[in-house]
Amino acid sequence: MKLTNILDIEGLTFRYPEAPKEAVSHFDLHVPEGEIVVLAGPSGCGKSTLLRTVNGLIPHMYSGDYSGEVKVAGASVKGTDMRDLSQRVGFLFQNPENQIFMFTVERDVAFGLENIGVPREEMRGRVDEALRLLGIASLAQRAPHELSDGQKQRVALAGVLAMRPRLVILDEPTSLLDPKTAGDLVALVAGLRKELGTTFVVVEHRIDLLVKVADRLVVMSEGKKVLEGTPRDVLFGEEAESYGVATPSVTKLQKMLAHDGLATGGALLSPAELARELEERQR
Amino acid sequence: MMWLSGGFVFRRGDSVYHRLDPRVKLLISALMFVTTLLVRSVYELLIVIAFMVAVAAVATVLRRVGRTMALTASFSAIIFLINLAFTRNLESSFLYAIRFVAIVVSTSLFFITTSPDELEQVMKTFRLPRDVVFAFVTAVRFIPVMMLDTIQIMDAQKSRGLELEKGNVFRRVRNMIPVLIPLVVNSVVRSGELAEAMESRAYGAVPRPTSLVQYRASFRDRAVAVAAVAIFAVAAYSFYYVLPVQFP
Repeated sequence: MKLTNILDIEGLTFRYPEAPKEAVSHFDLHVPEGEIVVLAGPSGCGKSTLLRTVNGLIPHMYSGDYSGEVKVAGASVKGTDMRDLSQRVGFLFQNPENQIFMFTVERDVAFGLENIGVPREEMRGRVDEALRLLGIASLAQRAPHELSDGQKQRVALAGVLAMRPRLVILDEPTSLLDPKTAGDLVALVAGLRKELGTTFVVVEHRIDLLVKVADRLVVMSEGKKVLEGTPRDVLFGEEAESYGVATPSVTKLQKMLAHDGLATGGALLSPAELARELEERQR
Repeated sequence: MMWLSGGFVFRRGDSVYHRLDPRVKLLISALMFVTTLLVRSVYELLIVIAFMVAVAAVATVLRRVGRTMALTASFSAIIFLINLAFTRNLESSFLYAIRFVAIVVSTSLFFITTSPDELEQVMKTFRLPRDVVFAFVTAVRFIPVMMLDTIQIMDAQKSRGLELEKGNVFRRVRNMIPVLIPLVVNSVVRSGELAEAMESRAYGAVPRPTSLVQYRASFRDRAVAVAAVAIFAVAAYSFYYVLPVQFP
């Protein structure tokens, strides 16, 4: 069972130098390959720190008091260098603007591959594949300032996927996108999981967007894991809201209706599904 | 400042000249630059400028080069007047003034036809350290981003009552402080994020990174380079031996 995990975090505690409190404290998480895990919690709860321990920025770039263990596909992050980690864990940062370095889209997608010394012919194939996966092949020669925010996001993700990581971290990927583009991104993530079997760990405040595709919802507060379970279990529970998790309105409604025996409490329903169920019950 | 950006900022083009190997374009501009320093009379210089105009025509950037020349004229006039005041020599003062225009045009021809991507390739052929090349690349890459940043900060500060265009020169410079400080803070935050993203994508992992694109000089590039050197040789020779126009 443990062998199939792509990510194992055991008893992780991390404190930044000079910080009065631990940013992450006694944290455990085990993620089987191919899952989409959503990490939620108020700002400053340690989500960003946790993500950085997974791709190695902590402890390789930022040092501090580090104890416990983070393993990606069985290999300790602490004992693996950034060259290897960059091919195991992809990291999509919140602002796509600040992770596009080159003057053309295809050069930027190739950035990581150039850095690890992939031969040109192979690199060409991997860049083209990444562009295709994200549906941005037609943008290959564009300059970054000629792209929309949604397109920039896809370019940044293409650069991450070109490294062929088995685990991809998305740090608030929709925070700068309009609702339509944000929805498209979520659909894209679900599609990539299906096509490539990639595992995703997503930090997201807009739970409603992800609730349908997520396998698991983890809630953090003050550096600790406070809730973990399927989105249904966590969102139907009493505690989620007390930790500032924005329960989707449709879920709140469903919860109330289920309480009165007017709707099912078995699974999370989309607004359309809930409407259909209510309609059927009325007949 | 504006004439400078207009005269040196690359805009996409599709002429034969744009498609030349960037190193050949650099060679042509460098040779034109040197030639303007070699000439000893206004007539010769006019021949050189005529040649530059011809190159600009081939590169379909005639209008932009024309505008650059016009905008350089004011600087040129200052150079002319200062020279005239000190040397009291009309022809040599005129030569210096025109030479300035020629120098600007020769360099601007390179920059307006060479994309930042190609500039990077040129830097790589000179075997500059990767960090230096990358610093240049990101600097140029973030110019539009920083410009947008500046506009947003200016708007935000103006909406809070900052009057940028009021007062004398010193006052105006001081008015810029509320714009500059947020801009610097933003840039520091941005550079931190860039560093994280670079690190996450294995920047510096191997001493010799590979490159997705490779510029190979084609037969045409080589032919143009040879022709450029030949024209330069003929020009240099004739300016020295065939057309010895002396100053009075």
